[in-house]
Amino acid sequence: MRIPLKYNLGSLWVRRVGSVMTALGIGLTVSIFIIMLALVHGLNSTFVETGQDNQLVVIRAGALNEVNSYFDRELYQTVRLLPGISLNESKEPLASGEIIVVINHPRLTGEASNIMVRGMTGAGLSVRPEAKLVKGRWFRRGLREIVVSESLSKRFQNMRFEDTIHMSRSEWKVVGIFNAGGTAYDSEIWTDYEDVAQDWDRPIFSSILLKADSQGAAQAIVRRIADDRRIHLQAISQREYYLSQTSSSIGIKALGTFIATLMGIGSCFAAMNMMYGSVMSRSREIGTLRALGFSRWSILTSFLLESVCLSLAGGILGCLMALPLHGLSTATANFATFSEIIFNFRITFIILLQGLFFATIVGVLGGGLPARRASQISILQSMRE
Amino acid sequence: MKLLWLLFRNVMRNRRRTVLTVSSTAASLFLVTTLLTVLHEFQNPTQTPESALRLVTRHKVSLFNAIPIAYLEKIKKVEGVQSVCGSMWFGGVYKDPSNFFAQFSVNTEQFFQVYPDLLMPEDQKEAFLKDRTGAIAGNTLAERFRWKVGERIHLKGALFQMDPELTLRGIYEKGPDDGGSLYFHWEYFNEGMHNAGFTGTYAIRARTAEDVPRVAAKVDALFQNSTVPTKTETEKAFVLGFISMLGNVQLLITSICSVVIFTIVLVAANTMAMSIRERVREIGILKAVGFQSRQVLGLLLGESIFLSVSGALIGSLGARLIFSNLNLPALTGGFLQRVDITPLMLSICVGIGVLVGILAAGIPAWKASQRPAADALRRVA
Repeated sequence: MRIPLKYNLGSLWVRRVGSVMTALGIGLTVSIFIIMLALVHGLNSTFVETGQDNQLVVIRAGALNEVNSYFDRELYQTVRLLPGISLNESKEPLASGEIIVVINHPRLTGEASNIMVRGMTGAGLSVRPEAKLVKGRWFRRGLREIVVSESLSKRFQNMRFEDTIHMSRSEWKVVGIFNAGGTAYDSEIWTDYEDVAQDWDRPIFSSILLKADSQGAAQAIVRRIADDRRIHLQAISQREYYLSQTSSSIGIKALGTFIATLMGIGSCFAAMNMMYGSVMSRSREIGTLRALGFSRWSILTSFLLESVCLSLAGGILGCLMALPLHGLSTATANFATFSEIIFNFRITFIILLQGLFFATIVGVLGGGLPARRASQISILQSMRE
Repeated sequence: MKLLWLLFRNVMRNRRRTVLTVSSTAASLFLVTTLLTVLHEFQNPTQTPESALRLVTRHKVSLFNAIPIAYLEKIKKVEGVQSVCGSMWFGGVYKDPSNFFAQFSVNTEQFFQVYPDLLMPEDQKEAFLKDRTGAIAGNTLAERFRWKVGERIHLKGALFQMDPELTLRGIYEKGPDDGGSLYFHWEYFNEGMHNAGFTGTYAIRARTAEDVPRVAAKVDALFQNSTVPTKTETEKAFVLGFISMLGNVQLLITSICSVVIFTIVLVAANTMAMSIRERVREIGILKAVGFQSRQVLGLLLGESIFLSVSGALIGSLGARLIFSNLNLPALTGGFLQRVDITPLMLSICVGIGVLVGILAAGIPAWKASQRPAADALRRVA
């Protein structure tokens, strides 16, 4: 025979001040848990969503990423003419030789950070269909013009539309603002390859981004580049290249686990405290229930359920408290490239469920011992009290 | 004194509740102590009298731009410069990319003059200076990989097409990075780079503290109109520049700490509310036998403060005990060198405990102490 849930809800209501305080405590813990998950998820999805199918990034063999890769200009011509690369309408291969330089630039708040500047050749924009112009136009060659991502534009000094910033030896004009749909490109400045190579006095390439005809063609190009000892380059699928950078979130993940574990332990003790208090002050009531014929098992499950109800209420509260942060833009250092990566807090349905699950665990761990204690109360003793 | 005894007996009355409240507070304050210490260490890189005299010169555009080695001799001649050495970040891979640690190729001629705070036996210094492919490593780094002097260390170049094969000639202690880096000869690196003749930064040691700002201005003025202009700043400012790249860490950590402290207040308030509710009659009796409201308030607040301060002490001392016995560089991949919970941090924690105690018990204790004795005695608990 089960004790109706109404009894438990009623009991929580009788002790509403204590219940609300305990639930609020659990709620805050859950909201921190959700926020940390949303940070990790937001940062990871920035990388996960970057890249197109059948596209390859070519960098120097041994280099870990574009920032520490460089190779001679002739190699670009060799790679660009490999069979299997898609052609555009004018029969030009869809391959963009690019140079990456990093500038140290002040944020709106004053402190400086590193930003990646990408100089690209003709096909650069065609192989990045995710980027859309929001304002102005794309850059033109030889004029020291740049386009800046919307997120950078909002975060750094002198990066609004039609502003001018000083980089290397020249003044560069912001002629356009683009949005790359929340991908890693949303943390970059784009301009023409020759302009960067001249201004920084670096007649080299950092990477080539190319589009292959098919998956098979892409694999063939990867093999061909790996086998050619003379060119000393490596080709990686563009998706894999960015996936490997999700390692940047390890720090946040570790921090989040540490915080959630300790706050979780604290909440368990708090819930246990509250439930013990509640059980002890209800011993007569429990004795009566037992006298009415409810089994020890019913009492145990009933009290456990009460604790879980309390913590789930806290969990829901926690979800509601964390939700306003969804979509908020923030940034951290991408340790792979040592430059700023901008991303959004992303709270998904799964993350909310994880939060509720976390709350349930707190409820079960916190309510377990008090519920067992309640089920052990003897009828005679409790009636005598 | 008698009141204190009474307070203690009250704390011990419901042992389970006391233990649970104290444990909850301890877990939370363990977290707060750790987070605040890490934040503090990030924002205040180790400052020794030596490091306050040091400056770092880099390319004006960013750290990624190299500067010519020819600047070395020019900087040496700047007035107020005691010694200078070039330092180039190597960023190679040791066995596996996850074994990340800092590696620099340095000019060894004045290296030990620039870094007198880097402690090492004289014979090891000499052995390192003599061996062109020699290297020295910090003690925390050496412990992490269980390196002994004489160890062969093969690095695979990532930024540079060069794979140095080094022999460990010495293990130093302290230094600018608390023994977390590896240094080897710039000449060896330069050979591998086909004598390209560049370095990443220059570390300069000024003669006196007054010389520090002057040296910075003079060095930058020297190269202002060249193709490679420089930016010179104090070592501390240079390190803080890295920290600022991490983004809104400070905001994140301080907001998490405030949320955690708020939850402890909730937990403690709940405990005190339960405990006071049960004792209304008792408080009435205390007042009836002549205790003043002030004493009753003190008794209840004292009990609450006792609980939260014990939690704070257990949490922060526990953190100190745990972190001083963990090999943090190995656990965090070199990200955290140490978490040193200072006496200052311990007292901050106790302060938080006192505050939590007062906030938690304030209102119910005040109410209970103001309730007339007759009214309290009439109530059935």
